[in-house]
Amino acid sequence: MVMIMGIEAENKEIENSMRETARKLLKEKEVDVIIGYTKGTVPLSSAPIMITKEEDVDKLIWNNLCYVNLAKYLVPKIPQLIDPEKGDLKVGIVSKGCVGRALIHLSVEKQIDLENIKMIGIPCNGIINRKRIEKEIGEKEILEFFTSENDIIVKGKGFEQKFSYDEYINELCKVCKVKAPPTLAELAETCVGECKEISSVDDDFEDLIEFESKSSEEKWEYIKDSLETCTKCYACREACPMCYCNLCFVDQNKPIWFGKTTDLSDIIVFHLVRSMHLAGRCVACGACSSVCPVGIDLNLITRKLEKIVKERFNFTSGIDPKKTPPMMDFRMDDAEEFMLEED
Amino acid sequence: MPNPYIPILTSVKNIVSENEVNDIKTLELVFKKEEDYKGFNYIPGQFAEISLIGKGECPIGIASSPTEEGSIKFTIKKMGTVTTGFHNCDLGDIVGVRGPLGNGWPIEEMKGKNIVIIGGGFAFSTLRSLVIYLLDKRYRKNYKDITVIYGNRDSGEVLYRDILEEWEKRDDIKVVLTIDREEEGWTREVGFVAAIVKKVAPSPNNAMAVVCGPPIMIRTAVAELVNLGWKDEQILNSLEMRMKCGIGKCGRCNIGNKFVCIDGPVFSLAELKKLPNEY
Amino acid sequence: MKNEIGKLYIELGEEYNFFAPIKEKGNLVFKKILNPDDIILDYFNSKVPPKEILFPKTEVLFEYKTDGKEVTEIIERKDLEEKNIIFGIRPCDAHAFVLMENFFAFGDYQDEIFLKKRENSIIIGVGCNNPKSTCFCTSVEGHPFQKDDMDIFLVDLGEKYLVEAISEKGKNLMNKMPWLKNATKKDVQKAAELSKQAEESIVTKLDLKDIEKVLDPNFDHPIWREVSEICIGCGTCSFLCPTCTCFDVIDDNDQYNNRGRRIRIWDTCQFCLYSLHTSGHNPRDSCIERCRNRILHKFCYYPENYNTLGCVGCGRCIQLCPVNNDLRSIIEKIKKIDIKKEEKISA
Repeated sequence: MVMIMGIEAENKEIENSMRETARKLLKEKEVDVIIGYTKGTVPLSSAPIMITKEEDVDKLIWNNLCYVNLAKYLVPKIPQLIDPEKGDLKVGIVSKGCVGRALIHLSVEKQIDLENIKMIGIPCNGIINRKRIEKEIGEKEILEFFTSENDIIVKGKGFEQKFSYDEYINELCKVCKVKAPPTLAELAETCVGECKEISSVDDDFEDLIEFESKSSEEKWEYIKDSLETCTKCYACREACPMCYCNLCFVDQNKPIWFGKTTDLSDIIVFHLVRSMHLAGRCVACGACSSVCPVGIDLNLITRKLEKIVKERFNFTSGIDPKKTPPMMDFRMDDAEEFMLEED
Repeated sequence: MPNPYIPILTSVKNIVSENEVNDIKTLELVFKKEEDYKGFNYIPGQFAEISLIGKGECPIGIASSPTEEGSIKFTIKKMGTVTTGFHNCDLGDIVGVRGPLGNGWPIEEMKGKNIVIIGGGFAFSTLRSLVIYLLDKRYRKNYKDITVIYGNRDSGEVLYRDILEEWEKRDDIKVVLTIDREEEGWTREVGFVAAIVKKVAPSPNNAMAVVCGPPIMIRTAVAELVNLGWKDEQILNSLEMRMKCGIGKCGRCNIGNKFVCIDGPVFSLAELKKLPNEY
Repeated sequence: MKNEIGKLYIELGEEYNFFAPIKEKGNLVFKKILNPDDIILDYFNSKVPPKEILFPKTEVLFEYKTDGKEVTEIIERKDLEEKNIIFGIRPCDAHAFVLMENFFAFGDYQDEIFLKKRENSIIIGVGCNNPKSTCFCTSVEGHPFQKDDMDIFLVDLGEKYLVEAISEKGKNLMNKMPWLKNATKKDVQKAAELSKQAEESIVTKLDLKDIEKVLDPNFDHPIWREVSEICIGCGTCSFLCPTCTCFDVIDDNDQYNNRGRRIRIWDTCQFCLYSLHTSGHNPRDSCIERCRNRILHKFCYYPENYNTLGCVGCGRCIQLCPVNNDLRSIIEKIKKIDIKKEEKISA
């Protein structure tokens, strides 16, 4: 399908139907505000936008650079979504698969009520790995970006470079099995636009084979090497729809659990503990890596945890609002092999 | 130019629990080196960054008066990690001190005036410093009538009881103590600070008022003063802000283009009205 | 002298810590180099600004020793007298050092740690032949070839560099480079052309004149709600800002070895903990107040206190904001407040 239509045409079609849905929702006062994406002001970017008027709906866009997970704005709810008179505004939210998953998982964690939300479902065809392209372009400035057929084309002063779309999307998108938000059997009203029936997710996690085949030392080296440049700006945490704690463990000072310095040990502790907190909760949106200003790729770590949760508990986050996540559940017959394992 | 982040070392000479629930203590510190004490020239209303080295540092108003020679005092409420550390201190423990910091009460400007001191709850420490200074026999003549209105939730919360009782016995200062609700054995005033301000009705003529306490008390007490004809320039506040460095470098205590640590903590109401309402 | 940068390092690397642009994990960074071959000369600018050299993410204020309970010794920094060469930085970042110096020297208290290091540093900067589309130094009283803030100023002429000593420090250092050849008239001319070309190629133009006068009375304007709408509250804009200097102070205690250090780490007004009182009260409780503080600090408080803008126009915050909350759009919206006001007055 992608091959025949070309990504651009496909995106255009998605965009048109998304705008129609958004217009209708606003017109019929089904929602007060729509959270979506608009064109970015720098190449390889997009910006979230809040739309309240029908005439602004055409500002909404859809392309392969819509990397922010918009569920972020609902938990904790940003002040702009609360009207001083009306109270909580009714929100429509442009939802690619991983935004839908985040919303469902947040409802499982009792952070939002899906009944008050309209998920404008869109079938995402993968987010471009902008950090990888930037790195490969190196010390040249990308001024223009477009997709054509199955290619990503970036242009700047005196250069034009083509990247294969299939290769240069996020690694997580390459193995994504939930491209549109899962349909909610009992909340049919919530999902507008395109949603997909997903009963279970089969995943072979082949993308992890290379990492898993490394020795412990090599894995350690990999982690140290990739995290070294972290500035602790916490963009990864702030962009993560699942990082909604009032006070992050790393910020707690009564008592102080973890060092706050940017020494490598403190950086590693922050990222690894954060990943642990995301086990069985991460919705594989890749926002953490997309937003990192110094281009750290965190996906492999969260992906590995996703696999462990899948294998041990047969659980995929954000698919079924009725299924209790393993970290919120305890059963007497839990295997608990992780407590016994010696390796 | 010395490194401004290096604390002077002092040791704990005395610890006094100040209230019934025992979450407020006054630590008396003596300097390890005589020259450090000599160099620590402060006025009432200034603060210092005091630290337990290894636990951290926090800004605390100086509760002693420069007229109480030989040591300095800090009244500390148990709130976070560092203040809890101070509460666990034993005699002789080492405390780092950086200071004195901030502008302090305008003792020069106050000369020749009637002084009204209004305090609520825990925020009385730099007022203690001020009153002791004003009452010192070397300086008392520089100031006219002194009135102190000090309110607390209940009698168990009243700080510095011994010294308050001494002041009550003097005839060169008027002390009005109040608690929020009636209590058995309490013979002084009952009612919120603002109500007592209204009752005492200090005159704004040739006077300055100093107001310290929780935000709601400050608001209501100041409103009463304004009703009594006080001008914004005559009313002084000492602000609290989150601080780290205390010397205008770490950034966080700004209100508009001013830093509470170096431009304050004492501001007149007139000055505050010129700043954005962000404190 | 293009291939003579190596010589420069060999000559000075012993005496000075030699900081220069290198590639690390795909990012251009300013680091102390050990091998002059690592130096990258064709680059736009680094993501993390060179402020890191004089104001690192984590910095020791002092170290101490204990006897297991009490502190027994306070150990001051001994490395502040080390000499540094900061090679290859852009005029915007060099100007940022001037702003930082103003700030750290301002008032009754001087930040000796920063100032000593600054004093012991020699800045060899390079004119910016190819400003990025997000650069706007010319809107903040800067220029891609601004050389006043450097000790030695280089212009990349393609085959070679034009080298100009600006300060006394720079002149003394240039005496240690006897291999330099005299520049020809043509070289100087070419440099002037490049400067003009660079200036003309700057596309981002912001009207920042008197912006503090617009900002000051509009503290409570609804615009702050609008411009903070999509902010996620991370520290990217300020951590990567060459003029942001806020820090937190913490004790990093090593109780097992009876020692520790009091350090400062980067902090930002964009974090909620930054201004949170221990009592729980927070004067800047939401993204609205925090975004406003950042803009006002650079474009209102800074001009009010120091009579110059607190921004050097490097465009990092524009390039790197995770949600593309573009400073240029924010400034445009602010400027519109002014227009509306005038309309009201004239109507």
